[in-house]
Amino acid sequence: MPDHTKSVCEQRVFEEVFNTHSKTIRNFIYYKCGDSAQAEDLTQDAFVKLWNNCAKVPFEKAKSYLYTLANNAFLNEVAHKKVILKHQKSFTSIASHENPEFVYREKEFKKELDNAIANLTEKQREVFLLNRIENKKYKEIAEMLNISVKAVEKRMHGALVSLRSEIKEFKK
Amino acid sequence: MEHQNDDTYLAKWLAGEMPESELLNFKKTSAYTDYKFLVDVVDGLETPEYNQQQNFTATLNKIAKQQEKPETKVRTLIPNWAYAVAASVVLFLGYTFFFQETTYNAELAEQTNFELPDGSEVYLNAGSEIAFNKFNWHNNRTLDLTGEAYFKVKKGSKFTVITKEASVAVLGTQFTVNSRKDFYNVSCFEGKVKVTSGKTNHILTPGNAISIQNHITTPYTTVETLPSWTTQESSFNNVAISQVVSELERQYNITISGKENLHVAYFSGRFSHTNLKQALTTIFDTMEIPYTFDANRNVRIQKY
Repeated sequence: MPDHTKSVCEQRVFEEVFNTHSKTIRNFIYYKCGDSAQAEDLTQDAFVKLWNNCAKVPFEKAKSYLYTLANNAFLNEVAHKKVILKHQKSFTSIASHENPEFVYREKEFKKELDNAIANLTEKQREVFLLNRIENKKYKEIAEMLNISVKAVEKRMHGALVSLRSEIKEFKK
Repeated sequence: MEHQNDDTYLAKWLAGEMPESELLNFKKTSAYTDYKFLVDVVDGLETPEYNQQQNFTATLNKIAKQQEKPETKVRTLIPNWAYAVAASVVLFLGYTFFFQETTYNAELAEQTNFELPDGSEVYLNAGSEIAFNKFNWHNNRTLDLTGEAYFKVKKGSKFTVITKEASVAVLGTQFTVNSRKDFYNVSCFEGKVKVTSGKTNHILTPGNAISIQNHITTPYTTVETLPSWTTQESSFNNVAISQVVSELERQYNITISGKENLHVAYFSGRFSHTNLKQALTTIFDTMEIPYTFDANRNVRIQKY
């Protein structure tokens, strides 16, 4: 049952919505533009607009409203520059290897992977990273982006094929 | 292979929806090894750190800012003769405008942030003011500060903050300056900061700070990576209790009576900007100062 008594105009509810969704929205934009400062700025703007229109947006519609706003703001403002996503670390499972050659190859692989991710189409990248890093199900992503589940699956598939073909390591 | 033409089978595999028989075949291919490795690595990736509290504060600031200047777009029909008058007025205004200082301030119980013309960021703490010349900014990055502010300076020419007690000059860095009545402190978070007070110079590196109280300069170190007041707290390192009480008044926009009853004492610690009752306990109870506090937020310090 949707909760009709909750209004986004109450600061407590607004804060709750912020705490639930702001991080994912920021990452969603980050996956598109690769600039976390800009992603945070656009996310904040989306929440400012939500607050301004709080009376018109029912609580249960707030999430999709925010995604639409953030997405539009991104399309309007961001020049389609080349995306350079900076992923912090990780390779936790592999880092224990002490063989320097292995460590070097891992680093090279990471570099190539970053490049390959940046070279995905924006549509493939956002879907792929929302699924893999944000752990969003295809159905959720489809709802967020207003596309069919089938389209999400196609983008996922395309992203993997493209990543594999971009990375030299796999061509040996 | 049979799924060669299917453009979603990898998506199905990732979601664990690939039929068992197909999966067995797929696992035998070299493509499977590649994809499995690729996905394992991608799943270990992380996005840059996200500070939710800071973003929420920034959002609230944006909301507050737009309420300050409600949009008023008025269109009027203008008779031709008005243009001649307007031209001369523009000349006059242009002249004053060019030399006019731009001022930003944060009222009591309020914080604000804004960008300077070169993209450097400024966070103003409660009861503070900054003035600078917008049009000559790129040639002369100098501003006047009363109160407390945190600066994230874009690299470029010398950046100077002038206050009553001292001036601070930097190139590209992050630091705070707090210049209140009888109290002055500068903390450096990044880069190098030079503080000039009279004829003495102090060079600060990250993690270092100095305070000047009663003409005595004390260097100290800080572990903070951001000034605490930007995260809804005020923190102090051996600061006169009267200064702490003044900061409390500014953050909550209250007047505390009985300040003459305070003995000389120094406070180290922090108080929250969101809960007055708790803030009072943290300061006064730990310092063993008796006080009264009622529902109308009247605070009175008693004799002790």
